Amino acid sequence: MDMGLALQARDVRMEYVDQATGDRLLAIDRVDIDIAEGQFVSIVGPSGCGKSTFLKIVNGLFPATAGTIEIRQSPKGVAHAMVFQDSSLFPWYDIVDNVAYGLVCQGVPRKEAQRRAQPLIDLVSLTGFEGKFPYQLSGGMQQRANLARALTVDPEILLMDEPFAALDAQTRELMQAELLRIWNEANKTVLFITHQIDEAIYLSDRVLVMSARPGRILADITIDLRRPRKLEIKRTPEFIAYADQIWGLISTQLKPHIHDKAAHPGGEAVA
Amino acid sequence: MTVASPDLTRTRSQHPDGSRRIRVPGIPERLKYGLLGFLVVLPLWEAVVRLGLVKRVTLSSPSLILEAAWEDLIINGTLWPHIFQSSQQFFLGLGLALITGVPLGLALGLFRRLNYFLDPWLSAIYATPTIALVPLIILILGLGLESKVFIVWLEAIFVIVVTTMVGVRAAEARYLDLAKSFRASRWLTFRSVILPSSFPYILTALRLGVTRALVGVVVAEFFAANKGLGFFINFSGTTLRTDRVMLGVILLGLLGVVLGEGVRRIERRYEKWRPEFR
Amino acid sequence: MSVAVASQPLRPRPRNRLARALMNERLLYGLAGVVLFLLVWEVGSRVGVIDRAFFGRPTGIVEAGMKEVQTPRFWGDLAASFFEFASGFILAIILGIPIGLAAGRFRRLQYALDPWLNFFNSLPRIALLPVLVIMFGVFGPASKIAVVFLGAFFSIVIPTMQGVRTTDARFVDVARSFRASEWLMFRSVVIPSTVPFIITGLRLGVARALIGVVTAELYTQTEGIGVLIRRATELRQGDRALFGVLLFTISGIIGVESIRRVEARFQKWRPATSLDRR
Repeated sequence: MDMGLALQARDVRMEYVDQATGDRLLAIDRVDIDIAEGQFVSIVGPSGCGKSTFLKIVNGLFPATAGTIEIRQSPKGVAHAMVFQDSSLFPWYDIVDNVAYGLVCQGVPRKEAQRRAQPLIDLVSLTGFEGKFPYQLSGGMQQRANLARALTVDPEILLMDEPFAALDAQTRELMQAELLRIWNEANKTVLFITHQIDEAIYLSDRVLVMSARPGRILADITIDLRRPRKLEIKRTPEFIAYADQIWGLISTQLKPHIHDKAAHPGGEAVA
Repeated sequence: MTVASPDLTRTRSQHPDGSRRIRVPGIPERLKYGLLGFLVVLPLWEAVVRLGLVKRVTLSSPSLILEAAWEDLIINGTLWPHIFQSSQQFFLGLGLALITGVPLGLALGLFRRLNYFLDPWLSAIYATPTIALVPLIILILGLGLESKVFIVWLEAIFVIVVTTMVGVRAAEARYLDLAKSFRASRWLTFRSVILPSSFPYILTALRLGVTRALVGVVVAEFFAANKGLGFFINFSGTTLRTDRVMLGVILLGLLGVVLGEGVRRIERRYEKWRPEFR
Repeated sequence: MSVAVASQPLRPRPRNRLARALMNERLLYGLAGVVLFLLVWEVGSRVGVIDRAFFGRPTGIVEAGMKEVQTPRFWGDLAASFFEFASGFILAIILGIPIGLAAGRFRRLQYALDPWLNFFNSLPRIALLPVLVIMFGVFGPASKIAVVFLGAFFSIVIPTMQGVRTTDARFVDVARSFRASEWLMFRSVVIPSTVPFIITGLRLGVARALIGVVTAELYTQTEGIGVLIRRATELRQGDRALFGVLLFTISGIIGVESIRRVEARFQKWRPATSLDRR
């Protein structure tokens, strides 16, 4: 693997068998991704394009059908840790035990894990909520804890699977700004999956646009917006130009889907 | 102006990348291991008895039970009157429990004050193993059909009342609000919201009632009968004919499985609303 | 023209006061129900409309109870019943929870056990009493403990198994992504999410175990509160028999309440829902 890279994916391909029909389906195909150390990279793409599948492969939840993924190994900490969608905190653990969970999984004794989790709880501004159970926290706070849990194991690369998808619009904006602050302090490489174009642009150094199934990387767009970024940046012409560019790419992928989306209830209407 | 970026993926876990990869259990495998269980247990049972490790009279054996079934069900048919008698008590008792229990459960769910009024008694009886009343019931109603039907009724009714009541209470507030906002009458609200949403609970009540009613049949016939499967089991036990005891027990078990499965079939059509307790 | 809207505030009073009023209403009606029923029973019995030999009377039950607790035989019966209940129930827990967990965890084991569990669960297990008496003898606690065990075991094992199988895949993914060991995954994910199911099983199990105690004692007539009931009935002492029934009611209430305590201790991570307070 090249020096200075945190992650290198080559020719990743994922096939699976549809349980209902028995057909073989190609979920993602020929995915090549390089992520430099410390970079914040997002993948956006239409529904069902395989971006979450890719993330799960990187996370080792299941193996790819073909291809290689290399992640830089550091002497301390682990290669990767995942921030899951909505409430993946264990409802039966309080916040400090949830945040310490990754360390406990590595065999660290519980007391020590709790002690080592504390700085991360402070970092995500949850000080004082250590003894609360997840149901006692708002959705935004739960996702802060989720983020802290992933950071506790000191991963080389942080994988985030639509972490703010379940939050309301206002909380989501605040959490995006918070994430940038934390990213800045924790100094991590991030691979971020989202379906929100503005979220991807706002957060990232690079936005990768994925095609409809089978998922391929359509474009690799470097976001040249100065950091630190304030939320107001979303109203600048440069930002809007990026959004138009990405939306243009994605809408070409959506067209064949519009009709069958509208046909079944629960599918969103895409204007 | 903020760019409103459209939500591209809102449907969760409908697509391959979001969906769980739970292996659907193959029916052959389920069948294979299910049969394996039988193929291990039955010969082992037979062998243990044949080899004299356990006395015939304590455990009987599959072949002896089959033999008994052949004789009593086919050759001389002596079991049929017992089965008929038990079925009669079962259906009469359960039927009465439904006729009385469902309306009472609906009423208790609908009328708060009636509920408060009866709650202490219901809770007390619900916590009581009502079989403790069997000797008194037999003393009061005698050894005829009445006492047995009453025992079956008593065993089955409370679980029906309570489950139906919970069903009425579980009618979702938003549907009730909807009915209210359209100024639906009490009767219309009952018919259009409460009854349909408590229906799955009534089915569950029926399934639970079936189990309880079977217990009632057995107990009633243990203590107050000269006919019926319970009597057959008890009588065979006191005369140390274990094969007959086992046969009676197996018939009861099959009856339970068949009836339970029947109700469950209907229930499955209302899977969505099925209450979580059993 | 103006449209008059009748204003009807949803919560006319402050919340805590409203709650208090509701509590009072509940208490009021409940108390009324208890008092009225007891009064009718007592007066009816004294006037002679209700036969005391059959139905007893409230004051008579209290009297009978006071007299009963002074006899050493009563305490022997109570101890015997308690011992049967406790041994059978604890045995059911000790075996039921691990077997349920294992059957939930290992699919093939579940397939092998499924037919048996389904059969025994649909069967009124007390029908096995005659066989158990043959196996373990009429006298002594063994046959009764066996009935209690069989009553409670299946009620515990089945929900436990279902609990393991319905573990949320999300949480399993979390544990796997942090590379939790198999044992840690079981401890941190599977067990906590199964606890509510186990509690349900225990609640059902208590009721089944009590039914087992009563039936076994009525059947074998050796010792225990069930025998007290039967003896009293034969002597036409309705008061005394109902005192025995009342003891079972109290045991049932204590059992359910203890499990509620256990539940509250294990489930403090869950927001209280209205169904919990049922």
